[in-house]
Amino acid sequence: MTHSDPTDQPFLELRGIHKRFGGVHALRGVDLTLRAGEAYHLLGENGCGKSTVIKIMSGAHAPSEGEIILDGRRHSELSPIMALEAGIETVYQDLSLLPNLTVAENVALGEQLVAGHGRLLRWLDRARLSETAKKALREVGLEPTRALLGTRVSDLPLAIRQRVAIARAIAQDARLVIMDEPTTSLTRHEVETLIEVVGRLRAQNVAVLFVTHKLEECYRIGGQAIVFRDGLCVAQGPIAGYSRAELSELMTGREIEARRYREGHPGTAELMRLDNLGSGDGFHGVTATLHEGEILGITGLSDSGRNELALALAGHREITDGRIEMDGAPVRINTPAQSIALGIGYVPEDRLGEGLFIEKSILDNEVPLILDRILGPMGTVSRTKARAAARTISEDMKLNTTDVDLPVGALSGGNQQRVLIGRWLSIAPRVLVLHGPTVGVDVGSKDTIYRTIQDMAERGIGLVIVSDDLPELLQNCDRILVMNGGRVVAETAGDTASEDDIYRAMLASPAEAAE
Amino acid sequence: MTMTQSTFDNRNAAPPAGRHHPRAGLADTFTRHPELVSLCLLVAICVAVALINPAFLSPTSLIDMGRASVVTGLFALGVFSILAAGGIDVSFTAIAAFAMYSLTLFVLKVAPDLPMAAILLIAVAGGTALGAVNGWLVHELRVAALIVTIGTQYLFRGILLAFIGTVWLMELPPQMVAFGKASMLDVTTANGATVTLPWYFLVFPAAALLTWAIFNRTLMGRAIFATGGNPEVAARLGYDQRTVHLFVFAFAGGLAGLAGIVHVCANRMANPFDLVGTEIGVIAAVVLGGARITGGTGSVLGTVTGVLLITVVNNVLVLVGIPSTWQRVVVGAFILLAAAFFVTRRGKLQSRNRKPSP
Repeated sequence: MTHSDPTDQPFLELRGIHKRFGGVHALRGVDLTLRAGEAYHLLGENGCGKSTVIKIMSGAHAPSEGEIILDGRRHSELSPIMALEAGIETVYQDLSLLPNLTVAENVALGEQLVAGHGRLLRWLDRARLSETAKKALREVGLEPTRALLGTRVSDLPLAIRQRVAIARAIAQDARLVIMDEPTTSLTRHEVETLIEVVGRLRAQNVAVLFVTHKLEECYRIGGQAIVFRDGLCVAQGPIAGYSRAELSELMTGREIEARRYREGHPGTAELMRLDNLGSGDGFHGVTATLHEGEILGITGLSDSGRNELALALAGHREITDGRIEMDGAPVRINTPAQSIALGIGYVPEDRLGEGLFIEKSILDNEVPLILDRILGPMGTVSRTKARAAARTISEDMKLNTTDVDLPVGALSGGNQQRVLIGRWLSIAPRVLVLHGPTVGVDVGSKDTIYRTIQDMAERGIGLVIVSDDLPELLQNCDRILVMNGGRVVAETAGDTASEDDIYRAMLASPAEAAE
Repeated sequence: MTMTQSTFDNRNAAPPAGRHHPRAGLADTFTRHPELVSLCLLVAICVAVALINPAFLSPTSLIDMGRASVVTGLFALGVFSILAAGGIDVSFTAIAAFAMYSLTLFVLKVAPDLPMAAILLIAVAGGTALGAVNGWLVHELRVAALIVTIGTQYLFRGILLAFIGTVWLMELPPQMVAFGKASMLDVTTANGATVTLPWYFLVFPAAALLTWAIFNRTLMGRAIFATGGNPEVAARLGYDQRTVHLFVFAFAGGLAGLAGIVHVCANRMANPFDLVGTEIGVIAAVVLGGARITGGTGSVLGTVTGVLLITVVNNVLVLVGIPSTWQRVVVGAFILLAAAFFVTRRGKLQSRNRKPSP
């Protein structure tokens, strides 16, 4: 393959890219230039548009506006096959392997697919499949035995899958390899292999784009940093020119003075105690206390065990080790019903999928936990009582509508969240676990939700906020626990903690964190 | 998490798959190749029945079963292709009925001299077109394939009965009668009767061979499995979902059209009310052959095994003195047992892979 002079024509350019998903404006005019042989690090907080931009580069999403210039040619969008033909290979965070196909097929089928411009009515060349797969697997340090080539990917452990995914990306003459958080499940040794692979790729004039949280690795690899915030590219330049602190600041963006909502103080009575709690390979050795009227924040990366801990408290995930005490007495939480009976409420991260009956009315969504209180004389639900109960909840939660018959699907994210919280408040919970309480919620609604949270704490409810939105935790919590690698690695007070310290604890490798 | 990782880190030099394959026992082999379970079951039943009643192995009964397997077999190959892509089809019998009846009527009324080869070709083309309608609806409407094909089953059958005809056609065109009779093998039994294995029997193995070639020798086959494994990922990797959907449904439709004509010729009459209602039996055969209803698995060999198993069960129970009404009980029990076996085995295999022993 001959490449034109890399300094003169960039391999890939994005100009004025916008992307909207329904009402969410995920990218708001992104300009990016990628050149052959360079390494790029795409940095930013969750939800800043990183994933969206790589999906646009790899043809998985079409931009709503803007143009893509690939090898000097203008396109309004790319298809997966166009991107592959141009040599844009992507290793997605979910690895995008096909579980029911063999390792060889996962690695090398793409070559033949692209050779045929995506046409499927073509003969399959098995000899070439196996040749290509062997070569690529060797490059990522896997010995391509016949057994490995023929193993179905669903039968492989995660760390091997990750390398198979990288092998697929380099199996063909790639010109840009995009890796979405490639090192989260790799060990140090495997990271070294990956860094070697990247070095080789760059030597072959291939551009590499990393999406990552791990600044340490970015500095080691070097190249250009690209920082995203709120759907915009806020900085681009040689990574060596930025300090860690500068990058963190660029990623989080302190332009608005954050206001602290928390004014009250927790009570003294201990409500709940987690004693050396563990759940399979999700988290282990978690010890923590929650007092009456206290707001406890829990944060960490998505694989840190924070999500699993939230689910375990709600009875959605099996607790395998340790114990939970409430009011000093040990309790069992194996099912959501047990958790509810103990007065523990859970507001899930995926509001629409797990929390709300989206096509049902506000009324139907607000009363399911108090059916026993709204029964009529025949033991059936009385619509009159239900209506009255729903009105009270709606007023309490300050919904922007008084019509309780409106389907919740028609409400804004903030109002939906308030319906869900209102449902729990109807049974006067003792503990409420809020999982990502403001994901997909606009700024105004955030404010109302934070006020509601403070209100609940004033009433003596113990609140656990599981979130990766650090400002949110700093504004609302009494204490913040940071999880990393399934453990609690740091605990800080909400009013004195700095975002940098929390970030450092979140991003540290498990070994560093243990120190 | 970290535990699992460090386990592999320490052993980085060793090829990973080596730890998964060699010690895989018999049960694992069955889990990986579910069709072997049905094959063993098939062999066991055949041996048992042959011991109880040697008449099972007589040419008459074997040829009977061979003939009976053709239509189910063609249907099953189509259903397998769709299941492999993660879909489902219950309209194929309606496609077959539509193709066979309207084509027979067309030949009788309009083109009595149409050669048999052309009739077969038109049946396949017509079935393919109707199948493609299914595929197009599934892809464009993004509605579950089950719902789409329930709809089209009613639609195709309704159009057939409302607009084309409801009268049984007892007199077939001569070329179709000849096709149904043409003998590949004549066997004279002890009591002097002649049983015939007709040439049309070969349609099933030929279709099976074609399906096998598509699945194992073309990119389409891999794309179908990829789609069944994870449609979102398959799309991301450049497997055109529209092509896959259109192809599997059109392919199943074509096989159904062919099955319809074979059915007419074999029975020497065309009954527009025929065939519809046998879908579940066909899907059962495919599932017994190792294809999972959730897609991405199965094989042609397994499907053929499943078809033979169902055919044998439907035909031999009488030979060993079990009332034919019990057929359904037996088939139902097989399906439940096979399903339960695979679910438990699968669970064990996966939990072992997640937590490799230290």
